Parts: sequence; structure tokens; C-alpha cells
Amino acid sequence: MTTANNNLLSDIKVLDLSQGVAGPFSTKLLAGLGAEVIKVEPPGTGDSSRSSEPFLNGSPTVENSALFSYINTCKKSVTLDPATPEQAQAIRKLAQDCDILVESFTPGHLDSLGLGYGDLSEENPGLIYVSVTPFGQTGPYSQYKGSDIVAQAAGALMYTIGLPDKEPLKVGGESGLYATGVSAFSASMLALYVRDTQGAGQHVDISAMEVMVVSQIHSSIYAQFGRTPMRRGTNLVRAKDGWVSPGLETGVQESTWLKVCQLIGKPELVDDPRFTTMEGRRANQQDLLDVIAGWAGTKPKEEIYHTLQALRTITGYVATVDDLLVSQQLVYREFFQSISDPVFGEVAHTGAPFRMDGSALELRPAPRLGDHNEEILCQRLGYSMSDLGLTSATKGEQVEPPFE
Amino acid sequence: MNPLSNRPALGGLRILDLSQVAAGPYATMFLGFMGAEVIKIESLSRMDINRGKARPSPDDLRVYPNGNPGEHPWNTTAHHVHRNINKRSLTLDLSAKRGKELFLELAKVCDVLVENYRGSVMDRLGLGYDVVSRLNPGLIYMKISSQGANGPEANYGSLGSTLEQTAGLASITGYDDGLPLMTNLVYPDPVVGILSFGALMTALRRRLKTGSGCLVDLSQREVTTMLLGEAILDFSVTGRIAGTMGNRHRDMAPQGVYPCSGEDMWVAISVSSDEEWKSLCRVMGQPHLASNSRFADPKSRRNNHDDIDLVISTWTKTQDHYRVMYLLQAQGVPAAPVLKGGEVVDDPHLESRGFWDVVDHPEAGTYKQVTTPWLLSNNPRATSTPAPGLGEHNYQVLSGLLGLSKSEINALAQKGVIGNTPTD
Repeated sequence: MTTANNNLLSDIKVLDLSQGVAGPFSTKLLAGLGAEVIKVEPPGTGDSSRSSEPFLNGSPTVENSALFSYINTCKKSVTLDPATPEQAQAIRKLAQDCDILVESFTPGHLDSLGLGYGDLSEENPGLIYVSVTPFGQTGPYSQYKGSDIVAQAAGALMYTIGLPDKEPLKVGGESGLYATGVSAFSASMLALYVRDTQGAGQHVDISAMEVMVVSQIHSSIYAQFGRTPMRRGTNLVRAKDGWVSPGLETGVQESTWLKVCQLIGKPELVDDPRFTTMEGRRANQQDLLDVIAGWAGTKPKEEIYHTLQALRTITGYVATVDDLLVSQQLVYREFFQSISDPVFGEVAHTGAPFRMDGSALELRPAPRLGDHNEEILCQRLGYSMSDLGLTSATKGEQVEPPFE
Repeated sequence: MNPLSNRPALGGLRILDLSQVAAGPYATMFLGFMGAEVIKIESLSRMDINRGKARPSPDDLRVYPNGNPGEHPWNTTAHHVHRNINKRSLTLDLSAKRGKELFLELAKVCDVLVENYRGSVMDRLGLGYDVVSRLNPGLIYMKISSQGANGPEANYGSLGSTLEQTAGLASITGYDDGLPLMTNLVYPDPVVGILSFGALMTALRRRLKTGSGCLVDLSQREVTTMLLGEAILDFSVTGRIAGTMGNRHRDMAPQGVYPCSGEDMWVAISVSSDEEWKSLCRVMGQPHLASNSRFADPKSRRNNHDDIDLVISTWTKTQDHYRVMYLLQAQGVPAAPVLKGGEVVDDPHLESRGFWDVVDHPEAGTYKQVTTPWLLSNNPRATSTPAPGLGEHNYQVLSGLLGLSKSEINALAQKGVIGNTPTD
């Protein structure tokens, strides 16, 4: 049985000024481990991801984005504009009392508003100030804008993805930005551990481009060793209801090949010199895939996956999102957790990315825009909404996203 | 100036690293960069698969520096040189009684153990978490596995490419024809490596508070599934199943990669606002397009995306891919060249940030090494030490850490428990 283990970071307060995907994903993970995360959003429109498709009940409102709902679980939302002096003062007060501040503005912007690392660390030397940007705090591209595809391009990740006769292809969704968020999370935990053991806070600089260069894993070293990695074909075979990679071209023992030939009803292939050795199967991969395709096309993908894995092959099947929720392995591990949302009903969320003592990720619905203005700005800091020049209408208001 | 500056972030921590392939070695590589002492354990009969074969065949030569495997091929493969930097190498036969004893002695004096064997290999060897945690209750035992420590598929084999499938990532990666594609780069492995590092920091912080170690169970498939979390929410509420959409974006339009001058050169552009669209039109020398109602807002631009792509491609085709970035970014439009592995090592921005470490490997030569996906203002990276030769630190570890005598160590080498030449 998994239980929410909310004591790992229950002593930690996070002030999250970041927007979009990467920064907020890192603070989602911190919140999931028990930290209090106060999310500061622009009054009116809120975090830019509130305007992102897909929307969970059709109408594009700031409370309705699947992306926002996913990456902002367990946070508190206040609406403050750092460019308005009295609201910047409220941010400064919140920063005095927090352990980790995460931001994603263009480098130098918060400094110009008196909210840079130098300003805030003077008042709070233990502060860990995490900047999550497309290209990092220094260097000739530091003022450049980014996006998921821009990061995957600049970091030499996407050049080798896709088919040889087509253009380079990005990893789907917001994968590059999620990885950047993972990096910001890990670096935040590193800086926290260093503060616990050495005493001081510091400025952490996360560049999405660099996260992608780390994630391209071998293109840079191959190139230096004289090899040019290229886009290449796929080893997927069509099953009755989707796609599988049979995985017979690598690491399969002779005895396994015998069983595979029986399984697919082609016993005569046992002695076919194209396939009897691993080297042969690799060299004749396309012939092998064609042979398998005849059999695979009549079988459900998951059945192929389980049947071949039982023969100790390294087989995969392409799970779509509906498959994931019913995967026997993910269900057994209780990986998905359901949140009951007053508007959307039951919503499935991914759970803990790692487990200690069986702990789960703490999950509560993402906040509505300005949900915690009263609690944080008024009760905790002692402001009235009018002191800050905020109208109470900012709280939880349904606003059409700017682009529609 | 902070008086505590420049101390290694993780100085004094000792890591026992049994991990292989990519995810685990990446996590321990980061630990090494931040100043931890990483002892990498392999056996002479089963080296880290990153080291390649003891006697490579002509087909395998591509992974060696300029195709030359040198005298000790297992010390010079690209994967090993790159992923096992900042580690010490100890060979130990974990199936031998004395090998197990020495392993457990080491586990007593380490803070963290990292392994990524299939399912229960360590339990079968009698070296699982129950055993080592009894000897060292403060030990953090990190188990990185493809499917997690338990469950019906815990013993299934996997590769980065199969994880991309079973975790759903392939289902949203591909051109607009719907054919799912994998990354050719085992994308989940480095991402898992980065997350594993954070998981270990979380466990270490927990140990500071509680005094005790723990088992950290990390499933690569689960971590990879987190990369499409919003699609899972969307399916659970609306029943929509996310598919492939090429390089396009749900909100931003236009977005894509466009051909540039030169062989297989491309630039990525994404436009997130009407203002950026107007700037793009100006830079392309087509300011009139900015006022065309067919492209006036994101929705119209998504509907007429093919037409826009044609206009952009016509412009980029004659341009250098870096130049397109400079021109567009100067006007606030997100863009970047689609860099190749050989280009990214020469990129001026990364150079100016000191991202690469220039490493002089005694057998593989001098090269630029990928470092960490973060920069800390007070605790810079440790100076890199090249990836170790197989068994290079046998004496140093066994004598220095466990106090074995020279003759004991020689006897171990005689029996093949340790060594520096693989057995096959």
C-alpha cells in the first residue's frame, strides 16, 4: 500500500515565480514531497500554461487547461505583478520567508525590479534561487527566447530523431521542458542538501539548452570520435491494434530463436542462415521484421509483448494513453492516482517518480487563479487587497485566454 | 564573496556504483562532477556493457576514437569514456565468496549504492537491500529499474527504445502520419539519470534528518510516463487519445523546422504570440503577411500552417541556420539551429558558459565532455578525471579503503577475483 509521505520536505517553503512548463514542473515535484509551494501568477491571465490546450471541458478558461492542471498540483496561487512596486514588495516579503525561489524570467529582468538573487539573498542568505531559462543566465544567447522545440534543436537532441528521408523530429509533447524541470528539481534538492551540510544558499542556473545537450547522450562524443549519428529507420512492426518492436535482432539466444520460429508458425526458419545468429538477424533486420509482421499483424500488441518477453526477448509495445491507465504493471504498482475535482470529476495523475519507504507523491488539485490571495497576502502578510492595488475580482476569475 | 565558496558540493560522500548502460552511470557521473567519490564495480566476466567487447569485431569499430580500439578496447569506447568520467574502477567477482565479502565490506563504508540490474539479481547474489542495510543502516540503496522493484513485469527486459514505447512517449512522437517513432537516443535514460540524482539528494537529506538510509525504488517507465502527464489527464476526463503531430504545437503556430543552406541543415522556429508573428514576417521581408487575416491569430495560423511553412521554407532555404537564429532572436522570435553533435561542441554560447570540460583521456585522447545540467554559484563542478581503465583503482580501493595488504590483493588477482583484463 502506498501512502503519501509528506514529511520529506514539510519544513520547506517554495516561492514559485516561474511560468510555463519547466519551472512549474520542478515545483510540482517539490510540492509532491511535502513542500509548501506558493505560486505567483500575473493577475488576470495567470500562468501562461493556463492558456494551453487541451482544455478539460471544452471551453478555454484559465481554470481549464490539462497542462496547467497537471503541473501545478498541490500549490497555492497568489496573483502579483512584480513590475508593480507594491506588489513587488509583497514578493520580497514572501522571499524573505522562503527556502527556494524558482523563476523563469529573461535574465536580468528581476534584478531590474529589485528581485534578483543579489537583492533577495542579502535579506535571506539561506535562499536557494533557481533560475530556469532557455539558455541560462550568462553567454551570448542569454536574452534569447525559447520553447520546447528550440531547446531540442539547440541542444543537438532532435537532429538524429526521425526518419532519414524526412526533417529532424522533436520528442513529442513538452518533453524537453519536462526534462528541464526535472533538472531544476534535482538541482534544487542538491542545493538544499548543500545548505543543510555547508550552511549557505546560492543561485542555481538551469539552461534548457544544456539539459538537452546532456540528454542527447552520445551525439557529441560520437562526432568527436569520428562518427556522425544520423536519423534512421524504425524497427516497429504493425500489430492488430497498434505497434510493437519484436526485439529479436539483439541479445536473443539460439534456443529463443527456435521457440520464436515455432511461435510464429515458421519452423523452417530455424536453419535460415539469415537469422540463425544475432549478427545475421541484425544484418537482415528488415527481412526479419517482414517475417514477424505476418504473424504480429493478427495479434494484439500487448499479447505480443507478454508472449515474447516470456521467451526473454527485449520486446516493446507502443502504449497509448488509454493503454497506460490499464497496464498491469502500472496498475499493480498503483502508479496512477486519481484526484477528485469539483469541476472535472475524477482526474488521473501520474504518481511518484521515485519511492522511498513506499511513499507516494502528494497530489491535490491545482489551484484556481488567486485562490490563496486571502490566505497568503492578507492573513499571512497583513495586506488588504486594495493595498496591493488588486481587485478581489482577480481571485478565481474565469478569463478568456489572450489568444482566443 | 561567500566564505564557503568553491567547496565541492558533495565532498565526503562515497558512492558504490554497480550500475550499467546509461541511466545509472549518468546519475553517478553527476555525483562525481559534484565532488562525491564514486567507486564503479564491474567484474572481469561482465564489464559494464558501455565498455563494449573485449575483442571487438570490425562492425564494432565505430564507437572507438577514429575507429581505433587501441590496446585496451574496453577502456576507449565512446560510451564508457563519456559516461564513466569522474569514477574509480574496481573489478570484483560478485559470484565468488571472497568477492561478496569484499563487496559487503565496501557497502559498510559507503553512503550510497546505485544499481540497475534486472529485477532481483542482487537478491539472488545475496547482496540485496535487506543484507546491505543490516550491515549499514545509513546506506541509501538506489534501485533504478525499467519497471520498478515489483510487479508482474519487474523481470521484463528493456532498452531505452522499448521504454519509450511502453511508457507512451513513442505514441506522441512522430510525424503527422501517425507512425510512432522512438528517439534513437534512449531519451528516457539521461532524463532518468538526472531525476535519480535528485532522488538521491532527497534521500540524503532525509538521512540528515532521520539518521537512517532507505531503499529508493525508481521505475524508468514511470518516470518516462510523467513526460506526457497532461495527455493522461486529458484522456481521463475527455477520452481523447493524444497522437503524433510532427514538430507542431498545440498552441504555438507556426512551429517547425525549416531547411537551411548546406547539407541537412535546419532551423527550428516557434511563434507564441501575434507580436512574434509580426516580427517573423518583418524579418522574412514579408511585412504584408502580418496583416493578412488568414494568419492574424494563433487559431488561423494553425489552420493555415502548411501555407505558412511554405513561406518560411522559401526564406530559410538560402540562409545559414545560425544566421536565421541571430536575425529572429534579435527581433524576439524563438528560434535555434538544429545543431548536430559536431556543431554543438563548437557552439560559442556553450563555450562562453564553460559547459564543456576538456578531458585528456590517456587512451582515448583529448575531447570535450558533457557536464552537468545545472550550474551552482557556490559549488562549481569538480575537476574532471578521465573515465578509468578497467580495474585501474583495484589497489587504491582495496588497500586504501579496506586495508588489504599487497599480498592479499595479489592473491585476489591470482584467483581472478580482481584484475584489469576482461576474461572474454
